[in-house]
This record gives sequence, structure tokens and C-alpha cells, in this order.
Amino acid sequence: MTERREANRAMFWRILRRLFGANRGRLFVMLLALGAGAAVTAALLNLQVDAKRRLTTEFRAFGPNVVIVPKGSSSSSSETLPQSIIQSVPADVPGGRVTALSALYLVASVSVPPSGKSASAVVAGINPLFFAKVDPSANPNRSASPSENACVAGVRFAKQVGVEQDRDLVVASGDRRESCRVVSFRQTGGSEDNRLEIDLRAAQRLADLPERISMIELIVPGTPAEIQNYVADLQKRIPDAEVRPVRQFTEGEARVYSRISGLLTATVGIVLLLTALCVMAAMTNVAIERKMDVGLMKAIGGATRRVVRLFLAEAALLGLAGGVIGATLGILLSIVLGKAVFGVAARPRLIVYPVTVGLTMLVAILSAFPLRRLASIRPASLFRGEA
Amino acid sequence: MATTDSMFLRLVADSFGRRPRHKLLTGAALALGMAVATAALSVALDVGDRLAKEFRSLGANLVVTPQADSLPLEIGGVDYRPVNAGAYLPEADLPKLKTIFWHNNVIAFAPILEVRAMALPFSREGRQLASWIADVPVVGTWADHAVPLPDGGEFHTGIAKTNPWWHIEGQWFSDDGRECAVGRALAQKIHIEVGDSISLAVGRVTKIPAPLKVTAILNSGGPEDESLVVPLSYAQWLAGRPGQYRKLYVSALTKPEDAFARKDPKAMTPAEFDRWYCTPYISSIALQIQQELPGTEVRVIRRVAEGEGQILTHVEMLLWLVTLAAMLAAALAVGASSAASVIERQAEIGLMKALGAGSGTVGFLLAAEQLLLAFVGGGIGYSLGIVLARLLGERIFGAAPEPTLLVFLVVLGLAAIVTLLGSAIPLRRASRIEPAPILRGE
Repeated sequence: MTERREANRAMFWRILRRLFGANRGRLFVMLLALGAGAAVTAALLNLQVDAKRRLTTEFRAFGPNVVIVPKGSSSSSSETLPQSIIQSVPADVPGGRVTALSALYLVASVSVPPSGKSASAVVAGINPLFFAKVDPSANPNRSASPSENACVAGVRFAKQVGVEQDRDLVVASGDRRESCRVVSFRQTGGSEDNRLEIDLRAAQRLADLPERISMIELIVPGTPAEIQNYVADLQKRIPDAEVRPVRQFTEGEARVYSRISGLLTATVGIVLLLTALCVMAAMTNVAIERKMDVGLMKAIGGATRRVVRLFLAEAALLGLAGGVIGATLGILLSIVLGKAVFGVAARPRLIVYPVTVGLTMLVAILSAFPLRRLASIRPASLFRGEA
Repeated sequence: MATTDSMFLRLVADSFGRRPRHKLLTGAALALGMAVATAALSVALDVGDRLAKEFRSLGANLVVTPQADSLPLEIGGVDYRPVNAGAYLPEADLPKLKTIFWHNNVIAFAPILEVRAMALPFSREGRQLASWIADVPVVGTWADHAVPLPDGGEFHTGIAKTNPWWHIEGQWFSDDGRECAVGRALAQKIHIEVGDSISLAVGRVTKIPAPLKVTAILNSGGPEDESLVVPLSYAQWLAGRPGQYRKLYVSALTKPEDAFARKDPKAMTPAEFDRWYCTPYISSIALQIQQELPGTEVRVIRRVAEGEGQILTHVEMLLWLVTLAAMLAAALAVGASSAASVIERQAEIGLMKALGAGSGTVGFLLAAEQLLLAFVGGGIGYSLGIVLARLLGERIFGAAPEPTLLVFLVVLGLAAIVTLLGSAIPLRRASRIEPAPILRGE
């Protein structure tokens, strides 16, 4: 009994091998269809997960999205915060690292020594100086290392006062004065254009407010929900100050993010579904051509169930091979695509691999199912050429 | 000649009639593949415009200020300059914004005039709630203002459109009424609610001016939470600057900047300059506004514009790549399908050749069949894809992409090329077939 089963099994594999070898062209076509489907599936799945995460990083191009200000009075009063408050800001979030900037604002008189031109302007003491990412006018080669007497001039301020690069400026408030050298310019279209940014310590000396700051700006990476949680958590940590999301950006972002991620999910879903159907149609096309094989097997005594099982095994093996080849190609493809779009290669996710191979096998097996219809074939009429 | 043609047609018709199931499946693969291509292409073509609109929820991306202005002393969004310092711009020029080349891309604008005033709050019943509060920031602007256009129409715009993240409790004031909105923090400080009223005055008060009714509490999440927002005309009256404003926010739909957009317009050749001028780059729209509104300086709000441009470029690119990948997969599967249909017909080809058909004739016949299938399948796939794209667009952006002729042509072309390429390799092999062994069944 066992012997017979052994022999049967050996025969089963032998027929399977022959089925593969019989028609190289057909084998190639089937592998091509399955592999192409698997490649796209793997690439899209891998990219989709990665792209969403990447997008939240992209949103940080908008700059600070959370601010910490003295409680009760957001701006117009001269209240300040202790500088040490920044130590209670958690630096790590699920989406990456939080970047922080402390600032102290004052109105001071700024003069350019040789020309004697002077103007009253907003001076922002900033730590770290050279914080701005959105700064097309900054010459990266020239952004000198932040030193205590370096300063960054807003473009409108620079025009008004008439300063050039590497000029020395004198900033005076009351009888206190500081000097600094303009190392770069800033153009943002916002209030930064009108002010002079100097080192925070210099500003604190000018304002005679040691260890005090006006506000902290934070760049918090992550999805809109993560940012919201972060703000709530931070508010609990520092009850003495007010933590506010910059609504202009957090709200706009949430809207855009939900649209983009919906778009990606929907596109990927539809593409995958249609690709599966398309591969299935192509495979079925191949399958129904195999009447002769089925007829012959039945003629020499193969039970319908066994014949069908044979073909299903063939399909599963093909799906496995196509899936493995295709998924490898697809993951490579997604790495290249990720690099092309975001400049950073998409991290290959191992889960994508088994999922893709499994899906491909499923599609392959499903597309072999029309063979069941062949059960009704009468071998004799087939060979007489009637069918 | 006529007999050859009719025989040819008959052979093609026969092939479809004899193997309907087979042709149906190849056709289905084709139609599905082309539906993928159509849906992905339509969405990719449309997504830029749609997302650009979504990005306008970030608010204005251009700010217009007087050219001869003194340096604003702005801390936390509040300008500390006195009213008589700096320059102002005429409100009467504003309708010109809708006459620039890209006027349809200007989707909203709002002029701003800031004054600092004293405020005297009254309760609903007219009871005085507190004494004069000094130095309250007052922002004069349009809430929902109908700007008369030179062509006779009207354009509704205002701060509610340029700053969509401003939430109000109650309703916006009407532009000609004696109404105002109070910032959330200020309202809390002076215990004022919707329905109460506030008198505003500048300088020495001889007589308490008629109060403004509070119609809304404003929650902006920014410095405006501590200000009063009043109709522009009222702020002009307060400041003694009738018909003038100080700052204008413009929200415009733009095309993300590319390398070409960053070139200096002054260094461009005339042809390049025309192309730049006629593309809705933010910089060219800024220049056009500056030309229309003399004496102004138009600056791009980099924070908004560049973040937007960067994300738009990346998302568009991502979608194009997804589209390309989808089209590639569809093409491969369709190619495989048509290859299969030719491979299986070797016996038929052998017979035709045995009966005297040349390789060219056989190839031509099969190609004609495949092309017919490609056009039918491609057409069905296109309609299917358009429906899908419509569903996608409506679900995600609430608006369906317009079907374009371009997509139709691309899809039909793709279907034809893919089926022909798919059949080309097996056809070449078939043309080398010796008829005799095939017919003998070897």
C-alpha cells in the first residue's frame, strides 16, 4: 500500500516535471505574467508603507509646527520664559527627532559703523542660529560656523539699513551694546525678513534678561495625530507655559496628508486588484488550451480529481516561482523608485515578501480553476477532433 | 485582389467566431490591463491641480507690502510701529488683482490694516463691563467682501478664505456693519461674549463712539487671538487712513517651481521670459501682481510656497512612478496573454503555410486579429478605467478628473503596441515552422 503511494507520488512529480518542460514558450509566458504582477505588488506595497512615513518628514519643510509661549499672553506683552524650559521638551518622537529653537525678541537700534546709518528694528536672539531650513538665499558654502558674534540679516532689514555680507553691525538697547558680523541673509516672506537675528546670549545681555527667552519653536515630525498627542503630552510636562500647534500648518497638513494617503492607498489597491485580474485572465487563457493534456490523462485512466490536482500543483509551483522572482524584482524596484522620489531608498520590508508570494500563488491557483470545467471532457471525442 | 481581401476578412472573422471563449479571455486581460493604465493615468494627470487646491488650506502664499515702507517692528505678529510711520496702499487698486494674466489662479486675497486702539466693552444690555482697556491690537480686514470686477462681475474674497485655519464661533461680521470679531484670549480677558459690544477709540476720547457688536469669537491659534478683528473700513476710520491698507495677503494656485522657474527673469531670453511669464509659477504671479499694483513689493511666503512645491513635486512624481509601474505590469500581462494565444496556434499556422500562405501573410493575418482585439479591449478598458478614475477622484478629492482625449489615445496606442510586441516573438518563431511536422502531429 505504502509502496503504491510512493510510486504514485513519484509519478505525480514526474508528470509535473514533464508539464513544465513540455512547452518552454508557455512556461515563459506564465512566469512573465505572474512575475510582472508580483513585481508590481511588491513594489507598490513596499513603497506605500514607506511613502506615507516619508511624507510626514516632507511636511516639515513648512518649518516649526509647535510653539511654546508664556502662559496667558501669547505675544504682545513682554513676558518671558526661563531658558531651562527647553530641557523638559522630549527630543524623540516615533517619527524622528524634534528640532527646537529658542528665541528672545527685543526692539533695538541697529547701526552700521562706517556709514553711521541706523534704524530701529526687531532683533531676535536665536539659539541655534542658522536654524532656518527654508532659506533659498543662504549660500551653503558661506554659512560660517555659528559663532557668538555672527548674525543673520533679513532681506528687507538689510535693504533698509544698507548692510552687506561680512559687515559689522552695532546693536544698542539703552546703554548696552553688542556688535556682530553679518554672515548671511534670510528671505522667508514672513516677519523674519524684517529683523536681525543674533546669538541668543548676546540678545539676553542686550535686553538685560539673562537666561530668559520669549518663545520656543519646535519642528515635530510625525503624522497629524502624533503631533497632536505630542502637544497634549508636552502641555502636561510644562504647565507653566502655553504649548500651541501652529494651526496654519498642522491643520492644512492634516488635510493634505489624509488626501495623499487616501490617494496612495486607493491607487495601490485598484492597481493591485486589476493587475491580479489581468494576470488571471492571461493565465486562464493558457489553461484552457490544455484540453489535449487533460484528455490524454483521462484516456489512460487518470481520475478527474487527480488530473485537476496535478494542474493545481503546477499552478502553485509556477505561482511560487513567479512570486519569488517578481517580489525580488519588485522590492529592488521600490528601492530605486524611493530613491528617485524622496532621495532616500525605501527600506525593504520583509513582510512584503511572503505577502506578495502568497498573493501570486493564490492568483495562479485561482486562474487554474477553469480546468475543473475540463472534467466534463470526453477524451474520445477530443481525440476524434470533435471538441 | 478583392477575393484575397474578402478571404482575409473571413479568416479573421472565423478566428473570432470559432474561438469566442479564447478571444474573450485575451480581450478581458487586455481590457483589465488598459483599465489599470487609464485609471492610473487619469488620476496622475489630475492630481497636481487637485492637490494644489488642497494646499490652499495652508493660506496665503504671497504678501504685498508698500515698497517705500519703513521697517515693520513686528513681534509675534503684532506691528509696534505708530500709525503715522510707514507707507500705505490704496484699496481702490485691489480689483486689478483679478485682471492679471493668471487672474483665475488668484483664489483669494485680503487686505490688512492694523491699528492699536483703546477698547471699552459693553454687555448685551448696554452695561459697561470694564473701564477703557489701552493698547488693544485691532486688525481691519475683509471677512467676506464682494469685490467689483472690471468686467462687471463680483469676486467674493476675504480673510476667511486666505486664512482657512481661523475658526470662529458665531458668524463673520458684515463688511459695512458696525460689527467685529474678538480673539479668544482677549474675549476671556475682558469677559466678553457673542452679542456684547465694544467701543473703540484712538487718542484722546471726548465722546464714547458708537459701539461695535461682537458677532464672533475668533480662534486662530496665533497672535490674532489677542486682537479685535473689525471691518477694514472701520479700521481705516479709526486710523484716519480712509481707503488704505498696509498689507495684502494673496492666495494663488501655482505650479511647483522647477529649475527653470528659479532662473533670474532678467537674465532670460525673450522667448524664455514669455514662457516663464505664462506659467503660473509663484514668482511670475508675484511679478504680475507687482506690475498691476504700482508702488508695492510682492514677496513670496517661502514657508508656505516652498514646502508646498516640494511636497507637490514629490507626490506627483510618486504617482507617475506608480502609474508607470502599473502600466508596465498591465503591458507584461497583456503581452503574455497575446503571446500565449499565438503559441497555441502553431498547428493552424502550419496548416496555412501548407496551403501556400507566405510567412508575411500569416503574420499579417495574426497581427490584424491582435490589433482588432487590442482596439476593442483597449476601448472597453478605457471606459472601465474612466469609471474607476471617477470613483477614485470623487472619493478622495470630491471631484472627478475630466476624461481627456490624450489618455484615450495613449491607452489605445499602448494596447496596440503591447499586443503586437507580445505576439511578435512567437510569430517569428511560427514563421520558421516547417508545416509538415506540425501537420503530422509532431
